[in-house]
Amino acid sequence: MKYKYRYGFFLGCVIPNRYPMIEVSIRNVFNYLNAELIDLLGASCCPAPGVFRAFHIPTWLVIAARNISIAEELGVNPITGCNGCYGTLRDAWYELEHEPELKKSVNEQLAKIGRHYTGRLEPKHVVQALYLDMGLDYIRDHIKYKFEDLKVAVHYGCHILKPSDKRPWGGKYEYPTFLDEIVELTGAKSINYKEKFMCCGAGGAVRSAIKEVAADFTREKLVNMRDAGADIIINCCPFCHLQLDLGQVEVNNFYKDIIGEPFNIPVIYITQLLGVSMGIDPNKLGLVKNHDLKGVSPFIPIEPFLDIVKEQLI
Amino acid sequence: MSDNVEKYIKRKVFKGLSSEIAKKFVDAGLEKIRACINCGTCTGSCPSGRRTAIRTRSLIRRALMGDESVLSDIELWFCTTCYYCYERCPRNIPVTDMIIKLRNIAVEEGYILDSHFGLAYNIFYQTGHGVPASGEANKKWRDLRESYGLPALPPTVHSYPEAVKECQTLMKEVGFVDLLEHAKQLKEQRSKQT
Amino acid sequence: MTDIKEEIKVSGKEKPRIGVYICHCGINIAGVIDVEKLRDYAATLPDVVISRDYKFMCSDNGQELIKKDIESGLINRVVVAACSPRMHEPTFRLVCKEAGLNQFLFEQSNIREHASWVNMNDPEGAFKIAKDHVRMAIAKVRNLKPLQEQKVKIEPSCLIIGAGIAGMNAALDLADSGYKVYLVERTPTIGGHMAQLDKTFPTMDCSSCILTPRMVDVARNKNIEILTYSEVVDVQGYVGNFEVTIMKKPHYVDQEKCTACGACVENCPITCANEFELGMGTRKAIYIPFPQAVPGQYTIDMDHCIQCGICARPTVCEPGAINYDDKPEYLNIKVGTIIVATGWDLFDPSVLEQYGYGRFPNVITGLQMERLLSSFGPVLGKPVRPSDLKAPHSIAFLQCVGSRNFREGGHQYCSRVCCMYATKQARQYKEKHPDADVYIFYMDIRAFGKGYEEFYESAAENYGINYIRGRIAEITEDEDHNIIIRAEDTLLQVPIELKVDMLILSTAIEARADADKVASLLSIQRSSDGFFMEAHPKLRPVDTLTNGIFVAGVAQGPKDIPDTVAQAKGAASSAAALMAQGEVAIEPYYAVVMEHLCSGCKSCQALCPFGAIDFDEFKKVAVINSALCKGCGTCAAACPSSAIIQNHFATFQLDSIISVAVKESTVQNGGN
Repeated sequence: MKYKYRYGFFLGCVIPNRYPMIEVSIRNVFNYLNAELIDLLGASCCPAPGVFRAFHIPTWLVIAARNISIAEELGVNPITGCNGCYGTLRDAWYELEHEPELKKSVNEQLAKIGRHYTGRLEPKHVVQALYLDMGLDYIRDHIKYKFEDLKVAVHYGCHILKPSDKRPWGGKYEYPTFLDEIVELTGAKSINYKEKFMCCGAGGAVRSAIKEVAADFTREKLVNMRDAGADIIINCCPFCHLQLDLGQVEVNNFYKDIIGEPFNIPVIYITQLLGVSMGIDPNKLGLVKNHDLKGVSPFIPIEPFLDIVKEQLI
Repeated sequence: MSDNVEKYIKRKVFKGLSSEIAKKFVDAGLEKIRACINCGTCTGSCPSGRRTAIRTRSLIRRALMGDESVLSDIELWFCTTCYYCYERCPRNIPVTDMIIKLRNIAVEEGYILDSHFGLAYNIFYQTGHGVPASGEANKKWRDLRESYGLPALPPTVHSYPEAVKECQTLMKEVGFVDLLEHAKQLKEQRSKQT
Repeated sequence: MTDIKEEIKVSGKEKPRIGVYICHCGINIAGVIDVEKLRDYAATLPDVVISRDYKFMCSDNGQELIKKDIESGLINRVVVAACSPRMHEPTFRLVCKEAGLNQFLFEQSNIREHASWVNMNDPEGAFKIAKDHVRMAIAKVRNLKPLQEQKVKIEPSCLIIGAGIAGMNAALDLADSGYKVYLVERTPTIGGHMAQLDKTFPTMDCSSCILTPRMVDVARNKNIEILTYSEVVDVQGYVGNFEVTIMKKPHYVDQEKCTACGACVENCPITCANEFELGMGTRKAIYIPFPQAVPGQYTIDMDHCIQCGICARPTVCEPGAINYDDKPEYLNIKVGTIIVATGWDLFDPSVLEQYGYGRFPNVITGLQMERLLSSFGPVLGKPVRPSDLKAPHSIAFLQCVGSRNFREGGHQYCSRVCCMYATKQARQYKEKHPDADVYIFYMDIRAFGKGYEEFYESAAENYGINYIRGRIAEITEDEDHNIIIRAEDTLLQVPIELKVDMLILSTAIEARADADKVASLLSIQRSSDGFFMEAHPKLRPVDTLTNGIFVAGVAQGPKDIPDTVAQAKGAASSAAALMAQGEVAIEPYYAVVMEHLCSGCKSCQALCPFGAIDFDEFKKVAVINSALCKGCGTCAAACPSSAIIQNHFATFQLDSIISVAVKESTVQNGGN
């Protein structure tokens, strides 16, 4: 089968190891959109920008370069569905392109494991591929069903937008609209809510430092989303997804005295929403639970979203 | 000493400002930190500052002025790297990158949280993943993967032990392991002293 | 004033007799270089008949040394090895002239900046380099030819571009000195931005009250020809002789017949945005910019006029002044000097999305606030906020919006006036609403001028204006369009969240959007900040690098009214000083075409950046206008036939320098 687009799928950690439904939805949506996803065998943690870059920048740089070099060997652009991995791969790529001395020393280190980094293939994000490579018109042609009345609180996260000089959005980071535009292709309405572009709180090693601090960010976001009448939350980063999902449970626990009713807003990844609108079987989008496992994702039930899908789409 | 002396007499006066920390920034090519005019845009933009004691501008100021306590304060770790300060600084200082470098220096001096140390030394170095699906404790995650029709382990370092070795070689080469072990030593020394 | 002797005849063909003078410059040169050894070295070089050294060659005694040697007939070429020619070349040239030697048979060799000062820790290396410099200067001077300065007449008239407070003041001073002034203004009225201001700091004078009398003075002055609604479209020529083409835009209203009765305005059916009110007010398609406009005649804005014909009816416009067929008129004038006083534009803060300008209705600029405060503005001096037209109970100012901004799209400079105008506007608002809460968010308060610090102190002490040191990070609004400010009070070291009814952005002033076109029209330079460049930032603030063209006011850089008027007067004085001389000397470094070698290829003409080369169609050779030629050397270098020689920098003169320069190898292994 001849594909129109071709990428190397960089999985990272949270997508394959905690939210495999996101992996499944990306694979199936991209396949439907005629985009081939090649596996990057032996890829590691990107490494996570919040923790590992904070501990030792040279380690972060060389492991990131190794990951990109795996994609280079296969001749594909590495693509990721995670803002954190995107931040790492993109920032490392940019830095190595602008500091030739640094690139030289990184290659000296990579030579010890028989690898080489050139930097000729730009790291991309799933949303970047959808919006910039494929374009809204192309995606619209693949939409089969539209929602009649679905209010979505869109959460961009941080590292897909910033640092804006190293991102493909023309320097715009204050009031972007590209993710809202993709969401609205499905007929859903992206609602305005206070502090829409605020960080979820997970990144920068905060969640792994003190969970309560990260949870207070999430609390503020959830309060605003609820006040604006959101039916679901859409995001494009598995760490934000985790923070808004598992974090929602933590907020209901840590801050139960000040939030009133506990939160239970389903958290959905962008390709899961796109997928149902394209007519892909929800089983193939990680939306249907077919196991009895305890203590796994999703932590906030997404059945209410499935009900809406059944009501409005089919 | 009387209680009042304990309570009220502080004598906190800066007598001379050496900045070893500022020198490290300059050596690392981050001399832009010296252009800070303390306008406060960074702190004003900080979502963490609204709910914790982190004061972005103060962290930068203390680093420049040689207040070494900035390395041991936990507030340094309350920045989520959302990058708003970086984007809005009128002097075009890459503020977030400064915080990250400051964290690097703190780790060099042995200031790292136990949870972070464990993450780096026991999980990342051992498995190559920051959030692993290997091991007994993570069986449910492998089962979850299979329930969606995916292989139990992803085609990452989890499926290629030689890849894990590659990462470990690199981490040793670049000094990561030494850094962590040195940090651990310093932490242990300090806890013995107190 | 010494007599200038009759010049000794030097044809350039007789044997050169070179005098070399090595200056100690105190310890500046002698402290590093062995000047006596250098003097002795110079004496060994061919054609050098005398070599001297002296402590300060620029002193009277030093100059005497040269003069005596010329007068005694000993020498007919002079080399001084000293400081930079930019310092004393004119000094020594005058000495030669006074002693009777053509002043262009002199060469200055820079052994201070170029040998001594850059090698202060390496006397041996410095000496070697000094030897090279002296040897090169001697080689050049051996080949120099006598040249004559050209004198051109200066027209006793001045073109002033821009009729704001700078242009008007310069015009009045020049007109009163007896010179004819053409005052060209792009908008239909003179007065400039100052007409938009309500009060001026620190005296709180009403701006119109001090401006309009000047406007009337300008209108009445017989020596000033006001050309409003006009633009300069072409400038040719050179100092003293500028040929300018001015386009007078069509008013569509006969300016002679119009009595400014205003009947047309009442009847005009078209209402559009009023640019004078910065979009906060309206005007008709036929209009005058503001009530006190000079000239007071009306103009039709053809972009909005639908030519309905109502104003043209005899019952409406009795004098019959309406003329839809009006066309632009072109005026050609000749002037001796030009003053650029084109003023400024306001920075558009919508690019700084975090401040919400254009997104939230209650965020306005400082100039818009001026119009709200103005007694003849859209709300007649009773400021209200845009969302509900109610007087705000709390307002905040944000300083440095677009200024002191090192990011892309921002201006790195400080706009200089904003701290003062924000304090002034804050004070004015407090006077109207003593119970209102007024905040000014700042990084620094710059109150540098006369009476400014006192004004600032009074604003805090007597008027209770709250100064918060912390630049606003972001703005949001609530359901009632109240503005929510997030900032850090850096002095208290706490993040604050403040709700106010209205936010005023003290936006930067920036160079006009078409400054680049004006610069290329006049062949003047702009600084990196976009404003026109002065010849020297300290000593020549109102001159440009183009002879005869001056700059005044904010066109040269942000400044307040006192400094603008001072510069206007300075520019008028400089222009008058030039015109009073009646004639000006042009340096003879121009290029000359050797017609017998010219092949007529016209390569030089295309390359000349100053438009100084014409083509003689009859002789089929290039012709260089020596007054326009600036001696840049481009044509001489490009000419494929080597037909162009540049006075004082001819190829053979430069070759002689190069061939002696590489004779002695000075640097081993790249030096240290």
